[in-house]
Amino acid sequence: MKGSKSITMELDDLKGLINQKLMEGSPKMTEGNFTELLKGEASSVISKIKKSLWFEIACCALVVPLFIGIAFFSSYSSMKIYFGLFGVIFIPFTLIFFYLLRKINEFDQSVLPIKQNLHQLIKMLEDFTHRYFQFNMALLPICFLFALFLGYNEKEPIAVLDNLYSKLKVTKSIYIGFIIGYCIAMVVGLIYLTKWYIRKLYGKYIEQLKLLLAELKED
Amino acid sequence: MGKTEKDFIELLNQNQKIIHKVCNLYMNWQEDKEDLFQEITLQAWKAFNQFRGDAKFSTWLYRVALNTAITFFRKDKKNAFIATVSDIPELAIHLERDSIEDKTKAMYQAIAELSKIDKAIVMLYLEDYSYAEISEIIGITANNIAVKMNRIKVKLREATLKNFERI
Repeated sequence: MKGSKSITMELDDLKGLINQKLMEGSPKMTEGNFTELLKGEASSVISKIKKSLWFEIACCALVVPLFIGIAFFSSYSSMKIYFGLFGVIFIPFTLIFFYLLRKINEFDQSVLPIKQNLHQLIKMLEDFTHRYFQFNMALLPICFLFALFLGYNEKEPIAVLDNLYSKLKVTKSIYIGFIIGYCIAMVVGLIYLTKWYIRKLYGKYIEQLKLLLAELKED
Repeated sequence: MGKTEKDFIELLNQNQKIIHKVCNLYMNWQEDKEDLFQEITLQAWKAFNQFRGDAKFSTWLYRVALNTAITFFRKDKKNAFIATVSDIPELAIHLERDSIEDKTKAMYQAIAELSKIDKAIVMLYLEDYSYAEISEIIGITANNIAVKMNRIKVKLREATLKNFERI
């Protein structure tokens, strides 16, 4: 017989025992254990974003001189403009990545109250995902429309393309129609793919954080 | 080992109970508890330069540990909602009926079912922090903490009774 209905089930009555239970099965750590733990790697979302930002910065550092080099040494004027512009556009983005990295480092080293911490984390993640999306989208017009324009106006013939063009025996209007259709499909596809990718990486996490923050709304 | 790291490890060693408690409260499985323990340790180390000593180290560590635990999500199903007492590995053994131990287990399970935010409030309450101190750590007013705590107590009472009847 439990007689459970009459039993007091108050948190205050069981405070001490719950505190004990919270320590059950916890191994006693030594200073040596802590030293070892400090050598490990963090697995938080913030550390993942930091790694991602460093990767983007490394890519930019590689791509900027490479593209500017191509722009200087290519014999095609369209290639010069295309890669030159690409190289230049990566420079402000590198600076934006550094700015985000600095903000994230500042946040990572701060110890805020839980509500403020959630708020800042959400803001930071949204900021990062927006910039990431903008960065990808900014490259699209250059990738497709600008490339199309430059390629079309290229005065010097490109042998490979000309051979392909004559082999397939396509008319000029079909060719232009195909290129425009291809560009539109790629742009739409890439917008959708980028959004899906960002959402897959951070979307659910941001939503969960927002739910937690909503819980802390003052009554 | 630099002086700062030595100081930090000494302080952490003295206050390790806090990290253990947070890990046990927020994670159900040993592997996840270990991951969270490491994450809290690393997070505390990163922020240690900002610790000025104007607050107690334990309070500061609670803030770090709870912030880390609340924003720490696992992708797998291990963290899925625990439906019954027997689903908690630590609670599945030696269930004795009609004892204070049963009540504690039932209450413990009820706490395990709370939301992450409510768990943080309960944890600080169990450590005898005042509402004003809890409000500083959580970031909402003391009045609001009092309101939330009352609601949590009612929730816990009902859930504990249900869990107790199942044991």
